[in-house]
Amino acid sequence: MGTVRNLLVAAVAVAASLLPAKAQQLTVWHDLGDNGVKWFEALSAEFARTKPGVTVRSQSFPTDQWFGRVISALNTDTAPDLVFNNYERVIRVQTQTNKIMDLTALTAAIADKSFLSEDDLRVATFKGRQIIIPIQRVQMAFGVRKSWLDKNGGKFPETWDEVKTLAAAFRDKDPDGNGQADTFGLALQAAKPRDLIHMLDLFTFGSGLRHTLIDPEGKITIDQPAHAQVLEEFLKTYSTYKFVAPDTINHSFNEMYQVIEGGRGGMFRVGDWNVRKWDGANVLNGDFVSGPWPKFAADRQNAVVIGGMRGVAVPENSPNKALAQEFAAFMLTKAAQQASLENVGAGVRKDLDVSKLSPRSQYFAKAEHRLAAYDFPESIHPFYPELEAAFHRKLLAGISNPPADWKAFIAETAREMRELAAKLKG
Amino acid sequence: MNAFFASLARDRVFYLFVAPFAALTILFGVWPILLSIQVSFTASATALRPNPSYVGLANYAAVLADPLFLASLWRTLLYTVLSVVANLAFAFGFAVLLDSALLRRGALFFRLAIFLPVITPDVAGYVVWRWLYDRSFGAINAALKMLGLPAFGGLSSADTAMLSLLIAELWHHAGFYMIIFLANLAIRDRALEEAAQIDGATAWQRWRYVILPQLRPALVINTVYALIQFLKTFTVVVVMTKGGPNDQTNFVSYYAYQLFDQARYGEATAMATILFAIVIGLSLTAYRIGDREPGQ
Repeated sequence: MGTVRNLLVAAVAVAASLLPAKAQQLTVWHDLGDNGVKWFEALSAEFARTKPGVTVRSQSFPTDQWFGRVISALNTDTAPDLVFNNYERVIRVQTQTNKIMDLTALTAAIADKSFLSEDDLRVATFKGRQIIIPIQRVQMAFGVRKSWLDKNGGKFPETWDEVKTLAAAFRDKDPDGNGQADTFGLALQAAKPRDLIHMLDLFTFGSGLRHTLIDPEGKITIDQPAHAQVLEEFLKTYSTYKFVAPDTINHSFNEMYQVIEGGRGGMFRVGDWNVRKWDGANVLNGDFVSGPWPKFAADRQNAVVIGGMRGVAVPENSPNKALAQEFAAFMLTKAAQQASLENVGAGVRKDLDVSKLSPRSQYFAKAEHRLAAYDFPESIHPFYPELEAAFHRKLLAGISNPPADWKAFIAETAREMRELAAKLKG
Repeated sequence: MNAFFASLARDRVFYLFVAPFAALTILFGVWPILLSIQVSFTASATALRPNPSYVGLANYAAVLADPLFLASLWRTLLYTVLSVVANLAFAFGFAVLLDSALLRRGALFFRLAIFLPVITPDVAGYVVWRWLYDRSFGAINAALKMLGLPAFGGLSSADTAMLSLLIAELWHHAGFYMIIFLANLAIRDRALEEAAQIDGATAWQRWRYVILPQLRPALVINTVYALIQFLKTFTVVVVMTKGGPNDQTNFVSYYAYQLFDQARYGEATAMATILFAIVIGLSLTAYRIGDREPGQ
């Protein structure tokens, strides 16, 4: 009887092993657009090699909608299995929901992670919880249209004075040769708080300074001489110098990209994720060159800016929490990182094959240039978004109605920010 | 009670037909409004949870203490007044012109031309307006330059941004108000005008005392509708200015939307509720004033 039972059990086991594994689907919400969707399709296929029957479906939302959707879903227990975005955006989700899982133990259990620096893990940690697994360093360089640059000496601008000279030439010398005065020195944005301050962040960190508005001790930095110099020149770029399109004050990301991709802006931000699209024949056709942000003083070192860390987070109420964690760890494997590099243009591993990438993508992938990271004030000062919004409003007021004395304007702004910071801290 | 049931039994066919629509109105009209008002009394972080934390009037206090909201509210009211007056004046003038013998031959063309923007998708229309206003390649400034006139600040100047939105919205909405005026003009009693003329009334007197009173229904409907429409101005801001420059077009609906975007649901719905109360209050007032019999 026992033998018969054992035979039956064995038969059932054999039959079970022959049946396809139970289908399971993981859902990831991100804001990476089509490239991101293709990347997750590649990841899904790779993950299925070790996890047959498991598929990963990704959904891309415009960034604004991503926030609302993720926060609502986590708060109503309808969360996706994983969310993927920039670190500071996940902080905002965690602040609003308190439902992002601490991934410290999961990361500790990953054997192959020596490529993650202490800085990477520090950036991934908020209030003692590791809220993301770092997957892609976000690099942002200073870009110049190559054909326009070639017509103006061909030397990549290193200093702010060189940038100003080039910007004036791009604006006034018809670099696209269409006979019309329709080109601009720089393509920037200003409409929303993050638009304007993000641009200022790039000029600030790229020129070797460490804080845009507030330092970790809570001191306002904008009227310190080196900072004030960058801020004044930055504000003049939008106003006195007339280096940007006159409507830039209403430009957000979409409009800024229209100026760049429409062939009207000469110098601009190049994110590692932009390169793949801008290499395209119908976009910039690779007609741009990237480098570090300009120096504002000879004694400072300029750099390409690490503007953030994109990573994967697991909601506490993820429907398939264990499997979601497995997938999150899998995203650090060499195959997954290679797919990340090829589809989105970024990763965290240093042992990836970059030979198939264009020279412009290789610039970011090899990361041989000096890098300077954001200071992420929102992770230290919970009131920072409100302070930043007030700072933005003040700067916009200056740009829309330029003062006679910018130095006095900056001093006044610093005083107002100190008062507001003290109030918000209290 | 018996009378109530008797009435119910007597008019049962009426109630039977009305019931599905009443249910739909409650489900899709009243219920979401009540839910939104409920959210305005909760802490934002817990607003969407099954058991939210209620904070009483804290969100309303925060909103009313916010100088940006108060500035936004004032701006919204100013924009509404200007837009209502501009739209109704333009629509009325155009309707009178189309109703007169002056434009009899091309009436159909002009009616179509003025009504076409109403059926144009608003986002598409406003994108085109944004391009028209563009300081670097827009047609408006190109034309001004050709005529040797100074450039128009359009959307990029704090002084002209609100006016620019008002013009774009006038283009989009005025045709609707014109049709209502035109319909009312078409059904007026022309015998009264003839009688007044025989009695020796001047053209102005006939307009003032005979025609205008007959247009009261169109005027009331248009005023109430325009008030509701412009108090809630949103799409044109999203497409054309995003509240800028320097907050000059940051109306209440858009400001509330920005807070929604930051997941500050409690304050955002408090703003929406305040706006809702103002819309209801002003609309009812306008309706009551318009509905009053002359001399009341």
